[in-house]
Amino acid sequence: MIHMPVASLLALAAVLFCIGLYGALTKRNLIMVLVSIEMMLSAVNINLVTFSRLGAAPNLTGQVFALFSITVAAAEIAVGFALVLAFFRLRKSTEVKDADSQKK
Amino acid sequence: MNFSAFEHLDTLVFYLVSLVILVCAVMMLNFRKVIYMVLAMGGVFVGCAVLFLLLGADFVGIAQVMIYAGAITILMMFAIMLTNHEAVEPEARWSLQKAFSAIGAVVLGAVLLLVIRSTHWVVGDGRHINHGYANPVAIGLDLFREYTIPFELVSLLLLVSLVGAVLIARERKED
Amino acid sequence: MSMLALLVPLFPLLAGVISFFFRRLPGAFHATISVVLLIPSVVFAIVLFLYVHAHPGVVLRQVIPWLVLPSFSIHVGIQVNALTALMLVIVTFVSILVFMFSYGYLRTDERLSIYYSYLNLFVFSMLALVLSPNLLQLYLFWEMVGLCSYLLVGYWFAKPEAARAARKSFVVTRIGDAGLFAGILLLGFAAGTFNDADYSILARHGTLALPWLSEPYLVTLATLLIFIGAVGKSAQLPLHVWLPDAMEGPTPVSALIHAATMVAAGVYLVAREFPLFAESHVTMTVVAYVGAVTALFASLIAITQQDIKRVIAYSTVSQLGYMMLALGIGAYADGVFHLFTHAFFKALLFLAAGSVIHALGGTQDLALMGGLRRKMPITFYTFLAGALALSGIFPFAGFWSKDAILGAAMAKGDWVLYLLGLIAAFCTAFYIFRVVFLTFAGAPRDEDLHAHAHEGGWVMTVPLVILGLFATFAGFINTPWNDDFLSRFLTATKTPKPIPASYSHWPLTSMAISLAVGLCGIGLAAWMYGGGKGFRKVPSAFKPWYALSRNKFYVDEVYSWTVVRGGKLLAALVDLVDRYLIEGLTRLVGLFFYGIGNVLRYTQTGQIQTYGTFALVGLVVFLVVAVFRVGGVF
Repeated sequence: MIHMPVASLLALAAVLFCIGLYGALTKRNLIMVLVSIEMMLSAVNINLVTFSRLGAAPNLTGQVFALFSITVAAAEIAVGFALVLAFFRLRKSTEVKDADSQKK
Repeated sequence: MNFSAFEHLDTLVFYLVSLVILVCAVMMLNFRKVIYMVLAMGGVFVGCAVLFLLLGADFVGIAQVMIYAGAITILMMFAIMLTNHEAVEPEARWSLQKAFSAIGAVVLGAVLLLVIRSTHWVVGDGRHINHGYANPVAIGLDLFREYTIPFELVSLLLLVSLVGAVLIARERKED
Repeated sequence: MSMLALLVPLFPLLAGVISFFFRRLPGAFHATISVVLLIPSVVFAIVLFLYVHAHPGVVLRQVIPWLVLPSFSIHVGIQVNALTALMLVIVTFVSILVFMFSYGYLRTDERLSIYYSYLNLFVFSMLALVLSPNLLQLYLFWEMVGLCSYLLVGYWFAKPEAARAARKSFVVTRIGDAGLFAGILLLGFAAGTFNDADYSILARHGTLALPWLSEPYLVTLATLLIFIGAVGKSAQLPLHVWLPDAMEGPTPVSALIHAATMVAAGVYLVAREFPLFAESHVTMTVVAYVGAVTALFASLIAITQQDIKRVIAYSTVSQLGYMMLALGIGAYADGVFHLFTHAFFKALLFLAAGSVIHALGGTQDLALMGGLRRKMPITFYTFLAGALALSGIFPFAGFWSKDAILGAAMAKGDWVLYLLGLIAAFCTAFYIFRVVFLTFAGAPRDEDLHAHAHEGGWVMTVPLVILGLFATFAGFINTPWNDDFLSRFLTATKTPKPIPASYSHWPLTSMAISLAVGLCGIGLAAWMYGGGKGFRKVPSAFKPWYALSRNKFYVDEVYSWTVVRGGKLLAALVDLVDRYLIEGLTRLVGLFFYGIGNVLRYTQTGQIQTYGTFALVGLVVFLVVAVFRVGGVF
């Protein structure tokens, strides 16, 4: 039997999501921006798994979805790092502020 | 002291793990060396994995440890080493953008918490979601019976991202 | 018949186009093609004249709709009535002679093809102007005539005086054109049509009015505005200053401008709108007095001018004044009759003067002439015929027409106008014979020039002789002997009431006085300049008056001090307003948006995180609204 309060789990996920969001919007380093995004995805996974077990109609779909989410996150991080590497080769920097070719 | 909130062990563990996760997350925000940030990040991921195990999602928890805490964190390390491994976040200075981000994040969090608090969460009976199998077996059966096509599509996505990542990160000779 | 009328202006246009495009061909080709192509125009014009004569009161009209609006339509086409037919004859006939003469005068000029294409365009414009069925089309060709005049006066544009004179003629006539255009628009709005034949009918029925301007005032205002246009074009006081300066153009051009194409347009306009003018007493009085004062004023200036062409130019101004005077006192037929005779003797005087100038290698200074009678007998006798006609000596053309005008003024009992005209007639006779004596009589004052003087060949003498014959006999078209043929021809369609018989049949008193005055003028000129005495010393008592006339009554100076300075001051003011107010305002508007852009620019940093922050703030706002307002959570 699981006795964890649902609201606390969801609150944890919400707070983690907001921290990740803040990090993604303020971190100077491209890698850290990616890491922050991963944290937001993690928060979402917590929600998925929580509802899979403690939702109104518990079933395995939530967990399967979390697995897909993790897979997509892995794929995303792989492409993301590849982009960071290419960017670093081009600009000799991993700073977000140097990725400003939209302006130029 | 009133320990009514901790009358069950899993609740106690949950709060401890939540504390670890939040502390790690806040530390990640505060560290200035990139490498420390990644380590703090690993803490968050491991905490999440513990939460999943607590929730009875054994397979997802193990996958979380292997993919996030293992593969992604290590990949980040590699990325940092391959780029500017001395990278240091500059002295935190308040800017308009940062202030707006903070306000936005805090307000968003507050709204979400208010909504969570004000909602009555119905908890269903989740004891039989594994249909009597072990959790990994149940998920495996579900994946291959119910979600065959999404599963194959995700594998294709992984393949494409693998090839794409190699292509993007490849050193260009012609430049 | 109307097709014939349509063809009349098209021949010179064709010649002009040919001359314009085949510039490599020799000058003789351009002269020949221009003259040959104008011959059918002359023939058709005469056929039309005879046709209109055979059908009194006929109006040939052929129009096609050009712009049709629900409430308004503009037509283009042609219209021939008695006045038009007469004008066609005058214009084509004088033009063909000028075309011939031009070749002799400008034989060596390199830009002869351009000259002939301008000249043909000039004639085409004037013919089209005359044929216009409505005022809008007339205005179009009115401006084209002005343009051609500008081009031809400035034909020797390398000379700064010529360029200046061309500009001056354009600008000064433009003042009048503005008035004309305003008048046309006023009438167009009031009548709902530009068809000017309807105006006088509407005016007589009292329906020519605008909501804010009742009929008598509207007619007066509109006719005065139109008259301003005629004043500019026909070089009447106070817009006469451009015409003497226009002498910078080639002399045949002056002949054309003064006799047929340019200045006649103003008189033609007034004559054309005569029925409407007649509805307004005020306008008629203004026209008469402007004409009379101009006639006297210009003839006084002409007395002392040193330049042979300028004398004749002021004489044109003066004679046009006579025509306006005639129209102003209601002697419509007499005014047009004077236009008719004047076209011949003025073209003759200019061409003869051109012959003299050509013979003397380009000099126009009377002080360097003299004694040319034996050297250039044809020029002399034709010039003499022109001078006699201008002076109004029996039986030359000018006698009949000028006397008819003075007789009409006398019969009307308007003694001020009559006296002004009479004094002007005296001055006219004096100044033109001063030119005759100074040019042809006595001993040559410049032996070198005199020695090389010669007649200009047949292309120059034939036009002179033809015009000389017309200057002598053209007046007989409208004498009591043939019962005022031209007056009957013209008034069959035009003037509402026939001319009173009192002066149309042998106004002997008036004739005698005019003749006597003319002879006195000639006599004075002979006494002062005859017998080879040349320039006389002016008695000291007359010195200031002499200087006044010599300096053209300082009109140019006055204009330069008032109008030109004033215009420049105004322009400077407008410039200031434009530069600091208007431009300031536009700059302010620009600055406003520049500022906004500058502020918004900071949002476009190119930093993905900034955009993310915007998205976050927007999301939060939506979420807050959704939760607290729509969702009803609290």
